[in-house]
Amino acid sequence: MKRPISMVIWIVVALVGAGALGGIAFHRGEPLNATWFVVAAACCYLVAYRFYSAFIAARLLTLDDTRATPSERHDDGRDFVPTNKWILFGHHFAAIAGPGPLVGPTLAAQFGYLPGTLWLIAGAVFAGCVQDFIILFCSIRRDGKTLGEIAREEVSQRGGFIAQLAVLAIMVILLGVVALVIVNALKSSPWATFTLAATIPIALLLGLYLRFLRPGRVLEASFIGVALVLFVVVAGQWVADSPSWAHVFTLSGVTLAFALIAYGFAASALPVWLLLAPRDYLSAFIKAGAIFSLAAGILLVRPQVLMPPLTRFIDGSGPVFAGKIFPFCFITIACGAISGFHSLISSGTTPKMILRESHARFIGYGAMLMESFVGVMAMIAACAMTPGVYFAINSPASIVGATSDAAAATISSWGYPLQAQTMTDLARAVGEQTLLNRAGGAPSLAVGMAQIFSSTIGGPRLLSIWYHFAIMFEALFILTVLDAGTRVGRFMVQELGGRVWKPFARTGWWPGILISSALIVGAWGYFLYQGVVDPLGGINSLWPLFGISNQLLAAVALVVATTILLKMKRIRWIWLTLIPMTWLVIITMTASYQKIFDPNPRLGFLSYAKALAAQITAGKIPAVKIADTQRVIFNQRLDAAVTAVLAAMIIVLIIEALMQWYRILSADRKSVLHETAYLATRWPENFSGASYTATAAEPDVPAMEG
Amino acid sequence: MHSVQVEAPGHMEQPHALALAIWIIRLAAKLWLGIREWCGDSAYERYVQAQRTNSEKVSLLTPAEFYVDRLNRRYSRPNRCC
Repeated sequence: MKRPISMVIWIVVALVGAGALGGIAFHRGEPLNATWFVVAAACCYLVAYRFYSAFIAARLLTLDDTRATPSERHDDGRDFVPTNKWILFGHHFAAIAGPGPLVGPTLAAQFGYLPGTLWLIAGAVFAGCVQDFIILFCSIRRDGKTLGEIAREEVSQRGGFIAQLAVLAIMVILLGVVALVIVNALKSSPWATFTLAATIPIALLLGLYLRFLRPGRVLEASFIGVALVLFVVVAGQWVADSPSWAHVFTLSGVTLAFALIAYGFAASALPVWLLLAPRDYLSAFIKAGAIFSLAAGILLVRPQVLMPPLTRFIDGSGPVFAGKIFPFCFITIACGAISGFHSLISSGTTPKMILRESHARFIGYGAMLMESFVGVMAMIAACAMTPGVYFAINSPASIVGATSDAAAATISSWGYPLQAQTMTDLARAVGEQTLLNRAGGAPSLAVGMAQIFSSTIGGPRLLSIWYHFAIMFEALFILTVLDAGTRVGRFMVQELGGRVWKPFARTGWWPGILISSALIVGAWGYFLYQGVVDPLGGINSLWPLFGISNQLLAAVALVVATTILLKMKRIRWIWLTLIPMTWLVIITMTASYQKIFDPNPRLGFLSYAKALAAQITAGKIPAVKIADTQRVIFNQRLDAAVTAVLAAMIIVLIIEALMQWYRILSADRKSVLHETAYLATRWPENFSGASYTATAAEPDVPAMEG
Repeated sequence: MHSVQVEAPGHMEQPHALALAIWIIRLAAKLWLGIREWCGDSAYERYVQAQRTNSEKVSLLTPAEFYVDRLNRRYSRPNRCC
């Protein structure tokens, strides 16, 4: 009896999901309610989790709960800690959820709501979740080894080296572009700049509290920190209203870029407990709160989606970034559907903490579904505002003009009506001097979130507070990515440098720390600076570059997964990873080719450099601007070279993998699977690794320091 | 390692209201322990227990030493994503 009822329920869920997706896809005319998006996404996720992930777990990976996981084999209470699956889900989700699924869909909304939403759902179900799940499984079976180590063992030495280089490349480009998102959100905004600046002394205070006063008492310190951060969000208004203080915190893009570079260097070189870790605690709590609030807000307010399903910009002429819907919708969405970076988390901390193999399904597949849902919410928030306002916020001045009148006239001429007064009123309502030309996704997402939040609590009176809360939330956890990423990048540089000169690899050696921090900060700082001074707004060049590198790393992870599945003799089901891998290779190669060689100067790096060089030769550039223009030309050529190197790396890796696959399939050589040997678990079946209670082993612990 | 068991209210013998109250308190306790573990508050306790389980004679780090050691390990590999 139970089975037929269950079947009926799942048939209903599938039909409701299909109906909602159909509604989104074929609805025309009147604005669509956001509920359709939520229902479509939720039903697709439920069905995918219940059936597709179960199929992968049972048939493809044959997860085995009788096998001891790394957390049981090496339980040391430090890296290897058996953890309850719900808590590990929280850890894993907090680690994978960054600014990408918020910014990517917001930018991709320039194509309309439909392509981005469909890719967010389908991409996650068939590619992103599969990647996260399988790499997590592979790492669990290899004592928690990293993606680079697995690639070296299972594909080839060169494959492992390429994976490590890809990680470093993505890290540098990622940090440059997320820093640019912050700069574009904070420039000329004393309120937002003060709020974010104030989080630094708050984090330092927390760092000292947790190090000397109450070591490790993260929860109480975080409560204090979050209360202080919420206070400075409100206090920012007083700063913005004070002419003398507002002047101090009104900073240009270039000044903010150098401030961020200095911050990144300090966070990387200073002890981790002082600034980096306490900021991460603050960010984790505020991130969790803001994401749940946004979900609740969307469900309560059920906003109308005002953006059309498809805009005229699918032809590649979009003002936010250039490029046609294929491949740039997929490249731009990136993390919300599939992110190569997740494979680093799935082969990092999580496999060392997982309790049972079967939990990999819930944590690997399930957490990525939740990330995709965050992307869908960002898409709803971006599309809930008037299209004219969306384009005015996200388009650079070189395309729509720098004044409200010019922007309104240009955007209205595209068929998206906009009054100049609308932008002036909106800026005043959110407490900003202007909202024009704020490319990067953060301000438009903050406007969308603020409109949803203020419809729930406070009304228009609190719009400015909600807007700055949203900006603070985005900027705070972008800064967390920035400082944590810079530190990890520093370790990678030290490891590489150590191969040339051994003392450089010593992580406690100050000259090594300072030089490696300067190198990594200098690398992403250069991309940031070039984005800030780019006449086309920076995001136009850098976000696609980030998307390409991210999707490239995902292709690397899927190449590794496919190789392992072949070695496991899962040839019948190899399409599960082979199809998403092939798709990613096609989109990254097409996007790379277009970004390098396209004759349209807004799209192709080389044609833009050529067009600027021709302008200098023709004497169209004033003498005072020639040096700046030559720098832009150099940057375009550099971006072209970086893109070409990324594309070459994936081609080499695929050739390596194809050779390996040929050997496996032709039985020319016995393929060796580098799994750790089977060890039966000693844990009882009902052991859940649930929360430890202090009473169990209140020890004679050494006295506290300080 | 211990877990707080949360039984469904209907399975208890106490009067209905009291059973419900106990169930809610136990659920809240479980949530509280979960949050402590998620944010790292109970990490030191887990470490002490793991060390004691692995060996009789161990030299334990102090809470402050363990806190710094844990952070250094955690932030030397990718742990925050894009």
